[in-house]
Amino acid sequence: MSKTDSTFSWTVYEADKLTQREIYGIVLKDLGARHPEIVGLSADLAKSTKIGTFGDAYPDRFFNFGIAEQNMFGVAAGLAQAGLTPFVSTFSAFASMRACEFVRTDICYQNLNVKIIATHGGISFGSAGTTHHATEDYAIVRAFPNLTVIVPADAIETAQAVKKCMEIDGPVYIRIGRGFEPGVYTAEDYEFEVGKAIEMRSGTDLAIIATGATVYHAVQAADILKAESGISARVLNMHTLKPLDEEAVLKAVAETRRLITVEDHNVINGLGSAVADVIAASGKGCAFTKLGLPDRFSPHGYPEDLMHKFHVDTDGIVDKVRELLNREFEEAEDWEDEV
Amino acid sequence: MALSDEQLAGRIVLRAVLPVIKVMLEDDPAVKKAFENVSGTVQFRAQDEEGPVGACLVFENGAFSVEQGIRENPDLLFDFPSLKSMNDMFRGKPVLPRLAPLLRGIPGHFGLLVKTFKVLLGMKILMPNAKPKTPEKAYLKVKMSLYMVSTALSQMNKAGDPDMHAWTSKQPERIYQWSVDGTDIACYLKMKAGNTKAGRGIYTRRKPFVHMRFSSVDAALPVLANTVDTVSAISQGLVINDGSPEYGGRIGDFMMKISKLLT
Repeated sequence: MSKTDSTFSWTVYEADKLTQREIYGIVLKDLGARHPEIVGLSADLAKSTKIGTFGDAYPDRFFNFGIAEQNMFGVAAGLAQAGLTPFVSTFSAFASMRACEFVRTDICYQNLNVKIIATHGGISFGSAGTTHHATEDYAIVRAFPNLTVIVPADAIETAQAVKKCMEIDGPVYIRIGRGFEPGVYTAEDYEFEVGKAIEMRSGTDLAIIATGATVYHAVQAADILKAESGISARVLNMHTLKPLDEEAVLKAVAETRRLITVEDHNVINGLGSAVADVIAASGKGCAFTKLGLPDRFSPHGYPEDLMHKFHVDTDGIVDKVRELLNREFEEAEDWEDEV
Repeated sequence: MALSDEQLAGRIVLRAVLPVIKVMLEDDPAVKKAFENVSGTVQFRAQDEEGPVGACLVFENGAFSVEQGIRENPDLLFDFPSLKSMNDMFRGKPVLPRLAPLLRGIPGHFGLLVKTFKVLLGMKILMPNAKPKTPEKAYLKVKMSLYMVSTALSQMNKAGDPDMHAWTSKQPERIYQWSVDGTDIACYLKMKAGNTKAGRGIYTRRKPFVHMRFSSVDAALPVLANTVDTVSAISQGLVINDGSPEYGGRIGDFMMKISKLLT
């Protein structure tokens, strides 16, 4: 987003003061000025998800359904059929699970132009407990045909994603955090393209593929590994889970042959599984590890503590990289010099 | 126990210098023609403190290989009283092997002897100060030098050179690649946790950690002859160093050590 873009009231210089949700609310309000077809829908979480910013600016284009998520997504489908562009905001756990069938059948099945902004993703709502954690949403929504799935790394990227999703004629699921995640980007000088991973650090020893809030930790880990041990770790910000940037994955396999995926999600059927599918289909061998929550429910706790507990923070990534670099994955190598 | 400099130089001669004869047999038309119908074995043997060391050149109708160790009943025997004398010959100093064992093989293998001497003389092109007179010879010098250096680095590690082995032991799987743009000249050094392997061609299974790309054969010559330092070579565009400059510089230090051992 350009600072001089007069159509937006938010600038990059405010990114360190605003949370992902706040940025989303402001950007949506700005988009609303240019797109009269945008309408906002909430299920009694206008304040928490910040879609209320849009509602305050355009009260006649904003609808609060109360605690009735299924109904909200059903109505969103109808509004989209009528030619409007609904932005539907609720917690990730409710968008992906409580309203699952409505998202699938009413919206995705009909390929309707509904934008789902799922906040408080992963374990970012740690203190709210397991019921409000969303550590299964990638697995669920990734399986819906027609749905684009985006997981921005920070506030700046959230703004990029919200704007870009307007260019997609179809359903989009944007998963963001609670809002206290550290920023990854300090400048606006990068291209955000849906379906194209961003190389945050170049490297040849291995590749760390991260998404969402874990991108920050992957970058930190890469810098520590380089400074402490001279390890050259490539970091890919895989902000789009679907369609996945298969080209970037295959390039990482070919050029580094050791991959780690990191996600604030269960290791089953999330980013790691999507990357593994690509690797398996390619037939190429590599050492591979998925970092994420194990096959268990996440407990109550502060998000930072939970991320540390499940090794999806900087320390966890550093430890796993060191382990992976020593892992043998091929037959005993021939070390005879060629003539 | 770490080898002495002379022992290390001997190991490099036997395991890194002699094998590049293969390049001459494949890429020098005159040498290729001379050996196309030649079969025979030529043993190099030198006395070391703990006994003889050596390597045997095996020519077989144009094919070539080097067997490490002492072969019984070679067709020709180049016997040196010490490692130093053998090494000195490859340093370009006027040294001849002992003649008596050599003479025993001569009657039946005079042609092989002449051709072997011709090849050994041709290897003087590897000397840093040897100036190739034709583009073809320049190509040979660069190819042979890079092949020799990549293998020599690997052999330094395998011989337990303390600095080299300490360096390679800390590294994960990495490729150090050399290539010359516009030619087929390419070789690499693979290392992983203390192991090393010299290979030929472009390594395709992963991206090199460091890739030193010479812009041409002519650009490679002054770098290999040590008449221009690495920093100047990069600034003059003679070589592009893709990857870590620190690690590229470190391997340059080891290349300099090899150069000193062989001159």
